[in-house]
Amino acid sequence: MLKVIFPMIMLIPMTLLSPQKLLWPNTTMHSLLIATLSLHWLLPTYHPYKNLTQWTGIDQISSPLLVLSCWLLPLMIMASQNHLQHEPPMRKRTFIMTMIAIQPFIILAFSTTELMLFYISFEATLIPTLILITRWGNQPERLSAGIYLLFYTLISSLPLLITILYLHTQTGTLHLTMIKLNSSTIPASWTGTLSSIALLTAFMVKAPLYGLHLWLPKAHVEAPIAGSMLLAALLLKLGGYGIMRITLLNPTLNYLHYPFLTLALWGALMTSSICLRQTDLKSLIAYSSVSHMGLVIAACMIQTHWSFSGAMILMISHGLTSSMLFCLANTNYERTHSRILILTRGLQPLLPLMATWWLLANLTNMALPPTTNLMAELTIMIALFNWSTFTITLTGVAILLTASYTLFMLLMTQRGATPTHITSIQNSTTREHLLMTLHILPLLLLILKPELMSGIPT
Amino acid sequence: MAAGPRPTAAEAYRPNRFVSLPAELDPATFDASPEKRRAEAERLAIRARLKRQYQLQLNNPNPPAIIEDPALLRWAYARTQNVYPTFRPTPKTSFLGALFAVGPILFWIAVFKADRDRKEKLIQEGKYERPFSVF
Repeated sequence: MLKVIFPMIMLIPMTLLSPQKLLWPNTTMHSLLIATLSLHWLLPTYHPYKNLTQWTGIDQISSPLLVLSCWLLPLMIMASQNHLQHEPPMRKRTFIMTMIAIQPFIILAFSTTELMLFYISFEATLIPTLILITRWGNQPERLSAGIYLLFYTLISSLPLLITILYLHTQTGTLHLTMIKLNSSTIPASWTGTLSSIALLTAFMVKAPLYGLHLWLPKAHVEAPIAGSMLLAALLLKLGGYGIMRITLLNPTLNYLHYPFLTLALWGALMTSSICLRQTDLKSLIAYSSVSHMGLVIAACMIQTHWSFSGAMILMISHGLTSSMLFCLANTNYERTHSRILILTRGLQPLLPLMATWWLLANLTNMALPPTTNLMAELTIMIALFNWSTFTITLTGVAILLTASYTLFMLLMTQRGATPTHITSIQNSTTREHLLMTLHILPLLLLILKPELMSGIPT
Repeated sequence: MAAGPRPTAAEAYRPNRFVSLPAELDPATFDASPEKRRAEAERLAIRARLKRQYQLQLNNPNPPAIIEDPALLRWAYARTQNVYPTFRPTPKTSFLGALFAVGPILFWIAVFKADRDRKEKLIQEGKYERPFSVF
């Protein structure tokens, strides 16, 4: 555990002390080495918790998310090179340090076995994200985006704090294994209902659930590319991971899952249909994130083995796919400085290599077989069908709409006539191709061995 | 009085439920009042100005990479950022919101609850046939 956290923290002196010419190669290489080092967490073990210390433990739910978060840091650093190239060196270092500051907290959040440490690191990831969005966003709307992000998450997590403290007084400990061993101390009364709601709502806002998702399009759209990648790939999964942990701890015996599940499934449908009416490319990808995470929440609510497995696979596949889509949208934005969807059309004849990456990203987003996105969506659909037959209408329509808006996005950006007002477009750089390769390669390789991320105890 | 000359085919052609009157057959296009002609001239002036701006940028020896279209920007702003500021809760919008936003949630909660309760009742009575047997 420490062999990854210490190098991660040491990245900060590395960015401060690197010579200007070697800043980007140093940080990218260092973070790639950390990512390679983190792969050993995926090795199977018969212990319930790997790398057990007093405060951390990695099991099959945390290890794919941890590897994803370590893998994403070099990708974020690579993606930010272009829009930072005209900044003075100290500002570049500050940007990289803000990105690096989030990583130890995310790793703590995913690997900790104690609820209070999880809460602290969960909240601590907010501040550097807020800095990324409000300081380095591009439009004046980034201020309202930052406020929405901060206050939605904070207001919903205060009841979480109170309930964690209450749980501490009831159980005497907040260690996840100990809480599981003690029989559920949540009484079946108003206290129990309220504490279950309180425990879940913070993660529902983060995940996000349909009614509480207003912060997400704003934050994703106004964030710089590294912020968008971080939000889409990691911070949303914090919410999903939190829901999985909480529901594993105390299976809700009351009727709480009805409103959450309905909101999640109906929200998947509604946000997919909103995607068809979007004018802003990044906003489209942001709403598609809400749709996919709605499926994840619905799967976590029914608490069966298959549904948890499907939720895990969907979280990882969606993390990589969504991050790749944001990188692609950013390549468009850097060339035209506009996110309007109909502005950057017909790019396939102009940038054919980038069109390949667009195609691959959109194919994985619409859950094409044999990608892991499809495995996840099918698993979740089947688990929900078993729970109640009528869910298939909602999930079926949601998947149909997902395919249609993804195809809409692909055809709009790649096919058609090139707009006449674009007089020149820069070529795709090798850096961008490398970025897309590093996104799509794990997705394609995981098709061959999905049990690495499926949360199945080996 | 004797009836006047019969209406010509053009005058007898009037709009009906299926076809509207084309501009060429509408007398108002030809006998335009001075106000209408002034308004037409103003619109033509605006269009000509925009076209001149566009062509100046397009035929510039060092053209900018993107010629920005003000109409497109205004349209995008109106669709993305100006929705809530121009929203006002009226009886109609409240009714629509309740019907399409709150209604389906309650509907689906009721459907799932009824389905689950029916299944639970069948399990309690021992009549539920497990579709996939482990044996």
